[in-house]
Amino acid sequence: MSKGSSNHAKLEVTNKLLDLQWKMGMAVSSDNCRSLKSPYVALMLKVADQSGQITNKSFEMTIPQFQHFFKQLKEMAAVIETV
Amino acid sequence: MLLELSEEHREHLGFLPKVDHAVVAEFCRIAVEFLRKGANPKVYEGAARVLNVSSNTVQHGVEGLTYLLTESSKLMISELDFQDSVLVLGFSEDLNKLLLQLYLDNRKEIRTILSELAPVLPSYHNLEWRLDVQLASRCLRQQIKPAMTIKLHLSRDGEHSSQVLQTDPPTLLHLIQQLEQALGEMKTNHCRRIVRNIK
Repeated sequence: MSKGSSNHAKLEVTNKLLDLQWKMGMAVSSDNCRSLKSPYVALMLKVADQSGQITNKSFEMTIPQFQHFFKQLKEMAAVIETV
Repeated sequence: MLLELSEEHREHLGFLPKVDHAVVAEFCRIAVEFLRKGANPKVYEGAARVLNVSSNTVQHGVEGLTYLLTESSKLMISELDFQDSVLVLGFSEDLNKLLLQLYLDNRKEIRTILSELAPVLPSYHNLEWRLDVQLASRCLRQQIKPAMTIKLHLSRDGEHSSQVLQTDPPTLLHLIQQLEQALGEMKTNHCRRIVRNIK
């Protein structure tokens, strides 16, 4: 039973994470608000699909969003320790 | 410039002299609707029943008329050339006059519809920008690196898409300079002459 479910889990994953880069910045001005002080974290993921084609996926998070994201990663790390 | 009408085309148009002028005018209306919205087989069946012919004959008649009108409108054929092109069909004087009138009456609208068929590139819709200062990255801490993040909104045929781009201030200034140069071209004598002649 467990062999079957681990095979099923492998088939589901089609994209591989190759690299993760980050940068942190502050938005100081924009077209609809001239005076900002908004920090953000931007991530760029390098992903390879099944055929080997590499694409970059980038996205931004506010500090609270990033803190939530980080919390998830910490939980993942903790769970992996127990496997 | 004369229109060349193929055997098949002439055969299809051969149906027109067999019906009333009012019917020909109605076919023309159906033809323009066909251009605007696509074919409607129910209309052909209805007309076929009334005229006591096969629906294929009606369809070919309308399509033949459509092709005659669109080719003439596309090439902006003069009245004289249209009359000469239609002469070869051997229709009556009255029918020829009617066809000419239908051409002249509908030419502008047909040309408007045809102009919408050309390939369309995505066009500018909106631009949002944000000035950022990068403070740290995975490989370097304690930075002060200004960057401009731009979201370019485009639209094509009613469909919207957007692209997020990033650039540094020197590149942005270069971009602005290039665009100003491009605008400046409109003021040169060469461009002014062309624009004047097109108007």
